[in-house]
Amino acid sequence: MRFIKKLTAFICVAAVAASSLVVNASADEPYIGYNYDWWGDPIPSQNGFVVEDVISGAEMGAVTLAEPNDLFVHNETGKFYIVDTKNNRLVITDESFNPDNIKIIDTLTYSDIFTEADSKIKKTTFNVPMGVYVRTDKDGHTLIYVADSANERVVAFNEDLEIEMEYVRPSSDVYDAQVTYNPNKVIVDSAFNVYVVVPSITQGTVQFSADGTFNGYYGANRVNATAEVIAQQFWKLIYTREQIIAMRRNVSIEISNVDIDEEGFIYTVTETRTSDTDILKKLNPAGTNIFTNLGYDQYTYGDYATRYYKGKNYANAICDVDIDEEGNIYLLDFATGRVFQYTNECDLLFIFGGKGTQKGTFTSVSAVESYKGKVYVLDSRKNSITIFGQTEFGGIVQNAIYLFNEGLYDEAKGPWEEVLRRDANYWLAYIGLGNAYLNQGDYATALDYFYRNSRAGYNRAFKSYRIEVIRANFTWVMTVVLVLVLALIIISYVRKSMAKKKGKKTGGTN
Amino acid sequence: MNFDLDMPAWKWPFYVAKHPFEGFDDLRWKKAYSMRVAWVIVIAFFLISVAKAQLTGFLFNDTYVKVFNIVPYFSSSVILFITWVVGNWSLCTLFDGEGTMKNIFCVSAYALVPYLITQIICIIASNFLLRTESGFMFFFEYLGLAWSVVLMISAMKTVHQYSIPKTLAAMFFTVVAMAIILFLAVLLLTLFQQVFVFGYSIYTELLYRFSI
Repeated sequence: MRFIKKLTAFICVAAVAASSLVVNASADEPYIGYNYDWWGDPIPSQNGFVVEDVISGAEMGAVTLAEPNDLFVHNETGKFYIVDTKNNRLVITDESFNPDNIKIIDTLTYSDIFTEADSKIKKTTFNVPMGVYVRTDKDGHTLIYVADSANERVVAFNEDLEIEMEYVRPSSDVYDAQVTYNPNKVIVDSAFNVYVVVPSITQGTVQFSADGTFNGYYGANRVNATAEVIAQQFWKLIYTREQIIAMRRNVSIEISNVDIDEEGFIYTVTETRTSDTDILKKLNPAGTNIFTNLGYDQYTYGDYATRYYKGKNYANAICDVDIDEEGNIYLLDFATGRVFQYTNECDLLFIFGGKGTQKGTFTSVSAVESYKGKVYVLDSRKNSITIFGQTEFGGIVQNAIYLFNEGLYDEAKGPWEEVLRRDANYWLAYIGLGNAYLNQGDYATALDYFYRNSRAGYNRAFKSYRIEVIRANFTWVMTVVLVLVLALIIISYVRKSMAKKKGKKTGGTN
Repeated sequence: MNFDLDMPAWKWPFYVAKHPFEGFDDLRWKKAYSMRVAWVIVIAFFLISVAKAQLTGFLFNDTYVKVFNIVPYFSSSVILFITWVVGNWSLCTLFDGEGTMKNIFCVSAYALVPYLITQIICIIASNFLLRTESGFMFFFEYLGLAWSVVLMISAMKTVHQYSIPKTLAAMFFTVVAMAIILFLAVLLLTLFQQVFVFGYSIYTELLYRFSI
């Protein structure tokens, strides 16, 4: 008995010790990892990203940041550019956030081209800078573009802080004189065309060529077809000119942020809250949106549930977009402080972040950037940068997607199965496995994986599966059908002839 | 032409479906209304609406399968049908309609047959078709629906001995009457629920009072 008691005690102690050894990584986060399934229901999931560190202005050696509004990471040099809006300066640092590597820019000088024209002004400062973009050409010449909002210009300067170009308000015959020009965000494509987001412009981004000439607008949003808009279209058929002019004009919602990927596609986001039109657009060079919900595609962005308040639906307020080197899309939701990570096909991968005051939550997010697998989120009220690192689970998912995008479907199968072992609710893993089996030619298994996970995948697998089944069974099915048809013809013929004979026998009554 | 109308009761729904114009006249002439057949059709209507939700192929099925509740299917088939019959009868008795409740019930049920048949075809076909071939399915679906609507008009016209415009007006106002009936039913249900809650709270009050 004593021995058994001792043994039980030992087992209990061992069990307690073992349970304390199990580390629950997600329990440390101030947010609950979740994902969406095919039905659009949120389901708990493992975290793909966890907080690594929070860096304040003082820690990076820049005293205090004041309402920083934009963050840009230059992939080629690894430099971080932080727009410190209230302090009217640009802070340049790097991945390590080491105070020794910091560079603070608040004063610029005009290069010779400008000083000849206006020799009095040699130096200039920022006034409410809002956005930054950096691009290096093939000769290694780097230009920093800052959207200098209150100065009504986008200023492009080199690393010697010499201004090389200013993108100012276009002349009034092409740009409405009554509309303000306060650049908010800026991006530059590989041909050094400049796209400026101006909050007062609803026609899209303001596009300049490298020499500063205004090219027009690029990537306008559509008008959300609400009942009011449709009713107005009807009244326009009846109203007179004066009445139409007096009507409330329907304009699309302005673009709130832009980013450009390695291939030159431009992504725009719209922080609308009240409409779900064109929240994220991927624009080709012609300005056409690739992420349309035409056909059978169903792109959704941010959280699915909306809140209803005083006659209006309030949804996400996607305020920033970022594309990483692998083509993953990051959307930042101002309303909930969450970051949504998508694949290049816009399939949801992970959701992280949230509102709050703990590490990893935010009060007023302003920018998201990704660099070397880490995600950096700038908070304009906490005045800090939060660094998110990938978890092991996130790494496996990322690896599986990478393999799949490379066309290595069989190799992607292992990681996807590992994902399902860790989180059986992970929707994308089923689609990934379905695709793997589909590419192997195992259509029946592919159908099982796609069932209630992906209509597009199911449709593709079913098409091949159906052909396979028909090919395998065509001969005997057709034989049976032909025999049956023949039998029916013979039977009806026999019946008819018998009826005729009968008719002849009883005939003569009519 | 086969004018032999002495057929069993279950053949009549198919006969009127094949003869949309004179079929109901024949039915009326032969007084071949069968409540048993009509009930079978109504129950089939209910079963088919459930089958449509549960057995339609994945590519065309939008039913939320995590929770399955049979009550909405029951109310959108059987209760809706009975409301139609009651609404139509209450309206048409006031406007010189000749149909009795039983007649209306029977002919309305018979008129549903093409819709139900095409629904079965669609449910089966949806398991074999791709999304790009959905046109075939929807063609059948609309064909059955249109056929049933034509039959319903013909049925109402015959059973009440109305002219076509009067039939259409009667059918429109039947829908209005249905809305009113359903509204009153919901109102009644809510009020009864309130009465029940009131009674129950008095009961609990008394329980507290006398328990000491």
